[in-house]
Amino acid sequence: MARILAVDDSAAMRQMVGITLTGAGHQVQQASDGVEALEIAEKQKFDLVITDVNMPNMDGITLVRELRSRAGYRFVPLLVLTTEATVERKQQGKAAGATGWLVKPFNPERLLATVAKVLS
Amino acid sequence: MGSLVKPSTGGSELAARKQGLARANGEAHERLAAMRPPEAAPPPPPLPGFAHFQRYWDRENGCWAVKILPGEYYVTRSDEAISTVLGSCVSACVRDPVRGLGGMNHFMLPEDAAVGPNDWLDPAIGLATRYGSYAMESLINDLLKLGAVRERLEIKLFGGGQILAAMTDVGGRNIQFVRNYMALEGYKVAAEDLGGTNPRKVIYFPVSGRARLRKLRPVENRIISRHEQLYMESLGKQAAGGDVELFE
Repeated sequence: MARILAVDDSAAMRQMVGITLTGAGHQVQQASDGVEALEIAEKQKFDLVITDVNMPNMDGITLVRELRSRAGYRFVPLLVLTTEATVERKQQGKAAGATGWLVKPFNPERLLATVAKVLS
Repeated sequence: MGSLVKPSTGGSELAARKQGLARANGEAHERLAAMRPPEAAPPPPPLPGFAHFQRYWDRENGCWAVKILPGEYYVTRSDEAISTVLGSCVSACVRDPVRGLGGMNHFMLPEDAAVGPNDWLDPAIGLATRYGSYAMESLINDLLKLGAVRERLEIKLFGGGQILAAMTDVGGRNIQFVRNYMALEGYKVAAEDLGGTNPRKVIYFPVSGRARLRKLRPVENRIISRHEQLYMESLGKQAAGGDVELFE
């Protein structure tokens, strides 16, 4: 069981990711953009962060970069879950410090398998 | 553009009548010319990622247009139209009125069968909801990336007809999904024409926000339904999920 921060501007996506992760026994906190996520991540400790890319106020790539620059998140797995599927965007994610990249449509089994892998 | 009416030099009544006829002829030609793509105005350049869509000249509306098929979406900031024909599928027409930018999608939900070793029968997370959310988010994300503001989005919904009596109410499921999605995301519906038994042709003008709707005769149901069936069959794999890549 892990403490997971799930970040997406879409309430529908937050709901789907939340149901999937809590159903598998994880503890899930949600944020609707990068700024909110960063605030929460500074107050609480998480074992994993899952973030969308295109969000208002602060996008997911910037969030990953910001988190990586903080001591508490240097080694925490950061997964990106997005509609973006281009090599360029993935490269940006990797350069920012993301652990992995999942392309939507969202698949619950694949998410859980990936979460299990990066947490082990 | 050269005029078809030559200047008359004669002063006789006949000459005047000829001139009048010629002018009427010329005007008719000009009207016809207005219905064809003017050579001086090629189609507006497509936005990155949408160059593979074929544009056609829409005679009725006197503008360039793009026709989208089931599973596609198109986004533009130019003065052009997007058209589609809907049976049980639904289309969301979405735009930011301030940015003068908008688009249209065309989708239906896959059959909500459980896939994989686990059952995901909670309707909030079933295959259908996942794919529907993806179809909506793909269009909206592209608009947001181009500078649209979420709170300003004006959304019109069309389709979801029950076009074949024998079929289960596929259209009704699509309508229910899109209404739930709108409510969950906090979007208001600016206009809608959903349900019923007729297929529809929708023409949307993203820059002005105008949507023209024509109900089609049920005689076309079978063809439209066949196209949607093929789309539905191809959906399963596509809807199942995108790639996963773990970086080193």
